[in-house]
Amino acid sequence: MQFEMTDIPRILPEILLLVLGLLVVGSDIFERWATDEAAQRERSHSAAWLTLIGLGMIFIIALLQSGYIPGTQLAEDTPSNFFTNILRNLQSGGPNSSTAVEPILGAFATDHLTMLGRLIFIGAAFLTVLLTFDVRPSAHPAEFYGLLVCSTAGMCIMSGASELILAYLAVELTSIPLYMLAGYFRTDKRSTEAGMKYFLFGAVSSGVLLYGMSLTYGFVASIQAVPVDGNVLTQFSRIGQASNSLLQNDQLITLAVLFVIAGLGYKIAVVPFHGWSPDVYQGAPTPITAFLSTASKAAGFLLLYRLLVTAFPGLTGSASLASDATFTGWTSALALIALLTLIVGNLAALPQTNVKRLLAYSSIAHAGFVLMAMLAWASPQSIDRAIGTSSLIYYLVVYTVTNIGAFGSLAVIGLLTGGDDIKNLNGLARRNLGLAVLFAIFVLSLAGIPPLSGFLAKFYVFMAAWQSGATWLVVIGAITTIISLYYYLRLLRAMFMQSPTTTEPIKTPAAMNLSLVVACLLVVFLGVFPNIVLTLIDQVQLVAGL
Amino acid sequence: MHLFDLPSGIPWLSLIWISLFVPTVLIAVVPSSQRDLIRWIGVVFSFLSLVLSLLVFFAYDPAQGGFQFVEKLDWIPQLGISYLLGVDGINLPMLVLNGFIIFTGALISWNIDHRLKEYWVLLLLLTTGVYGVFLALDLFLLFVFYELAVLPMYLLIGIWGSTRKEYGAMKLTLFLMTGSVFAIIGMVAIYFGSGLRTFNMIELANTVTFSGDFQRTFFPPLFIGFAVLAGMFPFHTWSPTGHVAAPTAVSMLHAGVLMKLGAYGCLRVAMWLMPYGAQQWLPFFAILTIFNVVYGATIAMAQRDFKFIIGYSSVSHMGLVVMSLAAANEIGLMGAVLQMFAHGIMTGLFFAVVGRMIYERTHTRQLPELGGLGRVMPFAAAMFVIGGLSSMGMPGFAGFWAEFNIFIGVWERYPLVAIIAALSIPITGAYILRATYQVFFGTVKDPSFNALPALTWQEYTGGIILAIILIGVGIYPAILTELIHTGVAPVVQQINGSINIAGF
Repeated sequence: MQFEMTDIPRILPEILLLVLGLLVVGSDIFERWATDEAAQRERSHSAAWLTLIGLGMIFIIALLQSGYIPGTQLAEDTPSNFFTNILRNLQSGGPNSSTAVEPILGAFATDHLTMLGRLIFIGAAFLTVLLTFDVRPSAHPAEFYGLLVCSTAGMCIMSGASELILAYLAVELTSIPLYMLAGYFRTDKRSTEAGMKYFLFGAVSSGVLLYGMSLTYGFVASIQAVPVDGNVLTQFSRIGQASNSLLQNDQLITLAVLFVIAGLGYKIAVVPFHGWSPDVYQGAPTPITAFLSTASKAAGFLLLYRLLVTAFPGLTGSASLASDATFTGWTSALALIALLTLIVGNLAALPQTNVKRLLAYSSIAHAGFVLMAMLAWASPQSIDRAIGTSSLIYYLVVYTVTNIGAFGSLAVIGLLTGGDDIKNLNGLARRNLGLAVLFAIFVLSLAGIPPLSGFLAKFYVFMAAWQSGATWLVVIGAITTIISLYYYLRLLRAMFMQSPTTTEPIKTPAAMNLSLVVACLLVVFLGVFPNIVLTLIDQVQLVAGL
Repeated sequence: MHLFDLPSGIPWLSLIWISLFVPTVLIAVVPSSQRDLIRWIGVVFSFLSLVLSLLVFFAYDPAQGGFQFVEKLDWIPQLGISYLLGVDGINLPMLVLNGFIIFTGALISWNIDHRLKEYWVLLLLLTTGVYGVFLALDLFLLFVFYELAVLPMYLLIGIWGSTRKEYGAMKLTLFLMTGSVFAIIGMVAIYFGSGLRTFNMIELANTVTFSGDFQRTFFPPLFIGFAVLAGMFPFHTWSPTGHVAAPTAVSMLHAGVLMKLGAYGCLRVAMWLMPYGAQQWLPFFAILTIFNVVYGATIAMAQRDFKFIIGYSSVSHMGLVVMSLAAANEIGLMGAVLQMFAHGIMTGLFFAVVGRMIYERTHTRQLPELGGLGRVMPFAAAMFVIGGLSSMGMPGFAGFWAEFNIFIGVWERYPLVAIIAALSIPITGAYILRATYQVFFGTVKDPSFNALPALTWQEYTGGIILAIILIGVGIYPAILTELIHTGVAPVVQQINGSINIAGF
């Protein structure tokens, strides 16, 4: 197995992202370097524009490559011209092409899962950049955007990685820039603390993840010592074969799975690996919090999902508490984590007075819901597993859009009112009704109120968990939803019912508005016409190796 | 009543809810300085929705029965969710009821001045949701509309309400959402339990027989989920608090229509889809409703706040609705639907009198502080008396036919329950007469009452419309009973038939 020239289109989005990252950093030397605020703002804007245009183009290229827009998927007999040739070359690396079946070098899959992941991450990065336009400028704007783009590239690789070492590298490529971004305001104590804390937790978790991976490797190597056809033993599919050949549960592999889950559990911020997230979310610059809580988490989920279902299909087990089932396998572990996450996340959010912390706990709780989708793998029927996969991806898309909107609104509010405590929201409806309505829509979508997309997302994962036999978890999930409603309504109460300290209207910056409006339209659209995106998501079922 | 045919090819039912969704958007874009324009948009479109539902009402053919004007579109085919609307003898009276309440409620809301634009947007959004619930025959769609109807309530009460409004709003929302979460669990169970993977209720009711164990397990969450909204004991405490805290038009909608959503859900979803579960569980729920009926009426007797009296009377009357649902025989269900209609109109009239005509002028609702208002505003007194007589079940008013059917139906199935519940009749009479006496008769307590502003044309129109319906249905109940009968007969058949199904 070798790297072919034809593999280049398959990793084109990642290549372009890395090029863009270097370009953003490099182009900074052509700017006017001065320490006054106007000059800093100018430098920061040109870096932001470059990133924005670049990300937008890469998003469009990825979209064309995917063929998801109706009519853009070329048929075999389409006549050649300049445009169709370009499109054909692009799509030769797309998820619908015949070459997409085998992962590149056995390590990087370019299937629909990767493609949807790329679109989520690049889209999220795009919206995040829009949100950063008017935040406090710093002396090194180009680094900021360069790191953001690098991190996005890492996430794309995470969603496609189908080999342990690449997966680990992707996790690091995603995380290291994020450590720096979280601590980006070097003069701000909280931001520095956030960066440091994130880094320390991340480093320990990397260690745990690596340990799990090495145990896995040891396990596979002890079963089949000789590599075949140059395939390495760290490929997910190879691990899958080995773990399937087990006649009974092996303690080594069980330990390995648990370590891997624990290592990635930090990325997706589930209890008990969540300790860092409220502090980091609160301390990081708010647009970065938006990015951290959505794209980074989604990438963690996609990697965890691919790893668990392709490398450990034999250890699925069951999360059912029924008397005729045994509570084993990774689904049972995920079910327990989901239980803790739902309860702790929602209860801890109740007493919060800082909106960022509140949303941090809410996003921990949401991770619990996402885990419920993965439980569907416990059912042996492919139709139920399909519900699990679709609900997982639908939830991630919806959650990403909604949470970017929520943190984005908070970034605007924090910028204009000078703080992000609940009391800063007081009477917002009197000062800027549009902003209050937008924030309310995001919050209600998080709470799962129809017809906003958050409702169907939650309903869908409930269905997935129900079919896995984890009825008990659905009941817990439903009860915690009510608890969560209380703290979401507190935000609405502050915005609409409390009287403001001043009725002076506030004006929001245009770039941020654009980002919020786009996110809001998506939240409503995904909820009212979910069939369109579900059709795309259902294609993930066709993935090789899944 | 089949008076005429409507041209086919027009989605009449969709038009009903769209006719309230359109003004929601319109008002959102009208500048908030155009106060009267906003009000007119709200009133005209709610009148339009009333006209549309009346058209459907008179074009429905009871002789043919079943679901008519059915509209079906695939919505989320991946999950077997469709946009399915249809009317039969159960939801048609509810549609008309909602039309009347929103139209009169819009008229009564004319004096709202504080954050007027937001008020109208939320009010119309709420009623859009209510129409949707009554129209939807797809379980998922029904649920989407259901929550659309509940959530605006939070803001409407919290912003424009009175008397512990934020507490009332939060309590109401959390209670109702808890109910809806129970219902969600039931929905998911039905979806997978049927093996059809569809939310289409017609298909579920006609082709699927759930196993006995399944129905015994999942009937209670589904029934209770909706019964919370109907104010069933012990989940009723949100309702008086909420009613009292809400602004007048919202109280009208809330007690008049929203609580009916709950009873409607119990009947349409829980009892229709799980008839065997209904057989097994309904006696238990019948016992709970005794508390509603008798205890609610007794508490109403002890209240000093005029609005609390109406609030608890709603608890008591809605208890009668759920009680006769629990009787699950033809006459009982007919009484239930009739009572939903009669109580909706009656309580709308009550809240219009108490909340708008009296409280907005006197700024007090305490019985000892009121008195002699009959001299100052005879119209309000007359309206209250008409509503009160209907509430007491006086022959000649809509309430009589409803309660008559209810007590016969309940007597047939649970004689003891009927006897205990009948205690509520004298108590109801007592608290209505007591309130009437203390508020409207006697000497004028406070000389400033003589200088109260006169009633406006909107209040007159709203009051008269509601009073006419109460009397009209009282004189000619067949306009509804014939229709309702065609609606409830299949449900009763299913419940009676379920006992005989082999394997239980």
